[in-house]
Formats: sequence, structure tokens, C-alpha cells
Amino acid sequence: MTDTNSPDFALVDIRGLHKRFGSTEVLKGIDLQVRRKEVVCIIGKSGSGKSTLLRCINGLETFEQGSLSIDGQALRHGDRNAMRELRQQVGMIFQSFNLFPHLGAGRNVMLAPSLVKGLPKEESRARAQALLARVGLDGMFDRLPDQLSGGQQQRVAIARALAMAPSVLLCDEITSALDPELVGEVLQVVEMLADEGMTLILVTHEMAFARKVSDRIVFMHQGLIHESGSPDDIFKHPKTPELQQFLSALRD
Amino acid sequence: MVQFALWDIFTFLLGAMRWTVLLSLIAFVGGGVLGMGLLFLRFAQWRGAGIAVAWYVQIFQGTPLLMQLFLVYFGLALLGMDTSPLVSAAICLTLYASAYLTEIWRGCVNSVHRGQWEASASLALDFTQQMRHVILPQAARVAIAPTVGFMVQIIKGTALASVIGFVELTKAGQMISNATYQPFLAYTFVGLLYFALCYPLSRWSQKLESHRLA
Repeated sequence: MTDTNSPDFALVDIRGLHKRFGSTEVLKGIDLQVRRKEVVCIIGKSGSGKSTLLRCINGLETFEQGSLSIDGQALRHGDRNAMRELRQQVGMIFQSFNLFPHLGAGRNVMLAPSLVKGLPKEESRARAQALLARVGLDGMFDRLPDQLSGGQQQRVAIARALAMAPSVLLCDEITSALDPELVGEVLQVVEMLADEGMTLILVTHEMAFARKVSDRIVFMHQGLIHESGSPDDIFKHPKTPELQQFLSALRD
Repeated sequence: MVQFALWDIFTFLLGAMRWTVLLSLIAFVGGGVLGMGLLFLRFAQWRGAGIAVAWYVQIFQGTPLLMQLFLVYFGLALLGMDTSPLVSAAICLTLYASAYLTEIWRGCVNSVHRGQWEASASLALDFTQQMRHVILPQAARVAIAPTVGFMVQIIKGTALASVIGFVELTKAGQMISNATYQPFLAYTFVGLLYFALCYPLSRWSQKLESHRLA
């Protein structure tokens, strides 16, 4: 038995992962282990497979080869119950927020805990209120998503994911759809989560942010992890020409 | 020759219209329930279920309602079931309505953004919870106008039940026409009564549609 509390235990354990869309292989053998409380940013050009990799982790995409386990549980696509168990461990924040537009902010947060965990209404309401306050949206409980700014919507989405008390949170370019002046408020919340010890895997184009919050940065190129290391390794001493090129393109 | 007062004709037709309304309601409610079941089957991603529903829809959309009525009416008799015209017509129109409604609603479900499925799935909701709490409430907004519009189709469709001997509005018009030798007058009344039923629904549907687009 592996000790799941040991600091070396891989909460997210991906081995030899291959993913194909038709005849195009978008992931060509990914190995990635993420420890508890680790913050990992995935960077790379669009089309390098980073979003697909993230979507594989909570089963939104299937994969053909390799294995993936969360907290020791292997991901099994065919088994709906196993998938739901796994998804309770894995929260996801999307680029386009994907709030439920017919429900107010608070009910967006309450929905899954009441339905999936059977939390009593009062309790789930109180928790939703606390979570909204935590992401800086006190008093917005009854606002519909339409009545919120993009930054506020994304913070509701974060509260909604946190309500399930996941052991890892996946963030898929969560600031890419935001107006520049709203990016900061969302990143602040993510930084707070990182400081509190949440395990985070982020796909991001915000390099300054990645550098600041990450324990480790993974550079993906053509469906493979091309280079990975500490923020300093990646940004100050990039080894491969592809990463050097990627970084210099960003500076221009 | 017997003289019929216009009032007598009118009340007779009005009486028969109750059966048109009843048959329409049965078809609409029954078709709605069955159509909703088929909608769930179609999206449940059970092996073969989606294709089976698609074929069911194609069969009802690809054949005349009149022929469906004959097949059900004579088919049930062939199976040894002693069915009244009302029961046959109700069964047939229910199946017919379920096929069309499930197809209308499928389009409405498809109009809900894919991200809603993904977000609810990643919150560990199961398929029924996703449909009930996330997808259908959004699809319903789009669905109301075409659904009300389809009710008009059902009401007009019940006229065909006259051919299997069910005395609803059209059949009653036929009877009046035969008795009075005044087919134009009889069918004018019939037409006006259908219009009185359908027009408010059409207007309502249009209003809902423009409301949605506004």
C-alpha cells in the first residue's frame, strides 16, 4: 500500500497517456505526477494539447492509452458511478464560466452539494453564502449570472467548484475570456487558494501569474511534455529551443 | 324535407367539438409524457437507444397520419383487441404527437450550450440530474413557442379520426352535410370552429416566440 498522505504521493498520477481525435494524435504519451498541495501550471502554444490534457483528468475527454488516477482511484470511462465518484474529487473551472444561467449565484453553488452529496438545504445555503463571501461576492447570492461581470461570474464558478470540496482543482484558461481589468480579481482568488494549500493544475497564458504561484511549470509542445521545472528553471534557464522560442515570442 | 335551424346545426357541432378537444388533449398530454421519455432515451447515451428513437421519429414523420390511423385501428383489431374509434385515435395520435414533440424538444436541448453539460458533469451530477436541473430548464424557454405551435397541428390532425368513424367535429360536419344537403354551410361552420380553437393558440405561440427573441 502506498501511503496516500506521504508528501511524495501523486494525488494526480498520469502515465503514458495517449489521446487521438480521429487520425490526429493530440497527446503522445504524457507522464505527469502532481502531489498534494502542489500548484502546477501548464503552458504552451495553442494546439499543444494542454487543454485536452486537463479535460482528460476529469473525464470530459476519453483517452485511448495509458492510465490516470486521482487519489489512488483509476479513471474508468465506461463506469458511470466510478466517474461520478472521481468527479467529486476533481473540480473544474472553464474559460467560458459555464454558470447555470437560470439559477442565481447562490443556487449555482448549492446545486451540486444538494443533489450529489444530499446536503440539507439550510446547510448547503449557509455553505454557499460562506463560499461566495470567500471569493469576494458577499451579498450577490440572488444575482443571476447575466447580472454579474465576467470576473464575478468566474468567481462564482470557483465557489461552485469549491462547494464540492474537491481534492484538486483544474483551471482551463480561466481568465482568457475576461476583459483585462477583470483578470486580476480572478487570479487573486486563485492565488488565495494556492496559499491555502489547494492542489491546482492550471492551463494559463498569464506568464507573470504562473511564475508567481507555481511550484512547477510544465511546457507542452506537440502533444508531449517538452520541458518542466521550477518557475526559475523555466523562465530564466529554458533548456530546449522550443521553450526558448515560445518565451521569446511572448516577450515580443 | 326536414328543415334544420342554424342554431341546431351549431349546437350539434359544438357538442362534437368537445370530442375534438378531448382527443387533442389526450394526444397532447400522452404525447408529451411519451415524448419526454423518448427525449431522455435519446440523450442518455445508452447503446442503440438514440438510433432507435431517431427511427421511431422518422417512421411517424415519413408516413401520412391517415395511414397511421388505419394501421392502428385495423392493427389492434387484428390483434383481437376490441377497440373503439376513440381509443384507436387516442393511441395513434399519442404516438404521432410523441414522435414530433420529442424531435422538437431534441432541437431545444441541442440549443443548450455544450458547456452546460460539461460544467454539470464535472460537478458529478448524473444524467437525470443534469437533464432535470440544468438542461431542461434552459431548453424549456426555447421549447414553449414551438410546442404550443404543435398543439395546433394536433387539433387539426384529429380531423382525420373521422375516417375511422370517430364522431368529432369533422365527422359531425359530414353528418350535418348529409342530412341538410348543404355541405358548404356545414363545413363553413366546421371551419369556423376549428379556427376558433386554433387561432388563439397560434397567436399565443407567436407572442411567445417574439417574446423570446426580444
